[in-house]
Amino acid sequence: MATETAPAPTETDGAHDHPAHLEHHFVSSKQQFDSAKLGMWVFLITEVLLFSGMFVAYAVFRQWNPEVFVAASNTLDQMWGTINTVVLLTSSLTVALSIHYIKQDKVKQCVYYLLSTLGLAGVFMVIKYIEYTAKFEHGIYPGAAFDPHGAHYEHLAGMAAAPQFFSIYFVMTGIHGLHVVIGMLVIGAIAFMAWRGSFSSEWYTPVELTGLYWHLVDIVWIFLFPLLYLI
Amino acid sequence: MAHDGPHIVPKSVLLRVFGGLIVLTILTVAVAYVPLGPLGVPVAIGIAAVKASLVVLFFMHLKYDNPVNALTFTIGTIFVIVFVAITLLDTAFRGDLGNVNQRTVQEIQAEQERAEQRNEALPADSLRIAPADYPDQERGASMSTEGGS
Repeated sequence: MATETAPAPTETDGAHDHPAHLEHHFVSSKQQFDSAKLGMWVFLITEVLLFSGMFVAYAVFRQWNPEVFVAASNTLDQMWGTINTVVLLTSSLTVALSIHYIKQDKVKQCVYYLLSTLGLAGVFMVIKYIEYTAKFEHGIYPGAAFDPHGAHYEHLAGMAAAPQFFSIYFVMTGIHGLHVVIGMLVIGAIAFMAWRGSFSSEWYTPVELTGLYWHLVDIVWIFLFPLLYLI
Repeated sequence: MAHDGPHIVPKSVLLRVFGGLIVLTILTVAVAYVPLGPLGVPVAIGIAAVKASLVVLFFMHLKYDNPVNALTFTIGTIFVIVFVAITLLDTAFRGDLGNVNQRTVQEIQAEQERAEQRNEALPADSLRIAPADYPDQERGASMSTEGGS
């Protein structure tokens, strides 16, 4: 990036006359923004690779035990899964809209849509809590504690690979849920900063990067939903 | 970027992408009820890939961005595909080749080591029996002849 020939300096150039957000080691606001975004994309790829390890575990065990995975998958509640998918997709739309508005200096709408995203993330976690407790009540735990009982779960007790499905289910959705919680904390902080007037169309890098992170959380769920709930 | 200020994705585009995502979600749920046999998994992953592409291109702005971001993302995605595919090439086809031992090299070596240890503890040579080893060969032979008379 450093060797890239930068475009002719814009109006805010000058060693002593630059915008407050522009660090001295960047040529222009655009270069600083592009660098931050590239860094975020590299981070997002490390996140993708973190989840891909778990997707590989899913693929291997599903390929070894296809019938067990279908039977265990059928005990998950498709209704809650579908609702949660729509909730997360909507939250992706709202965070995209918050960026759409901060680029036009519409701070109020930006804060409104950031808080909507926060609320939808909360709804997602509440539904996840309902799903988890419904499973725990019937002894569906990850790992060695797996002890299915109750009408809909008894048939899983005789399946050797059923605990593996639920271990994978709990670890994948658990780490995804952890990302949702971290996203909620970051979005809350960003919404507060936006409300304080920290961002404008001149500088909104944190809003943009938070949006990228949130969309990635959505993408992970886009793959988790059919793999765990539907097929 | 000839114009001033950041590139703004129009609200209508965002809403249409969202509509597409909802339609695809309904589609993937509906398809789950159709018995597709072995095609079920590829179809579900295909729909998810289209949804993810919509999010990446429009919500995440990759379509309008500096291409280096798209390059970064594409390389990462290729690594994920390599990771899944090469792992499955191993786990999905274990024991398929008839002339290949299902046991691992370590298991075979451990088996050979155990055999050697058994041999050291009780050498095979010590178990060998020759006619000279019978203690009362003379008497035994005479007894049999006596019994015969």
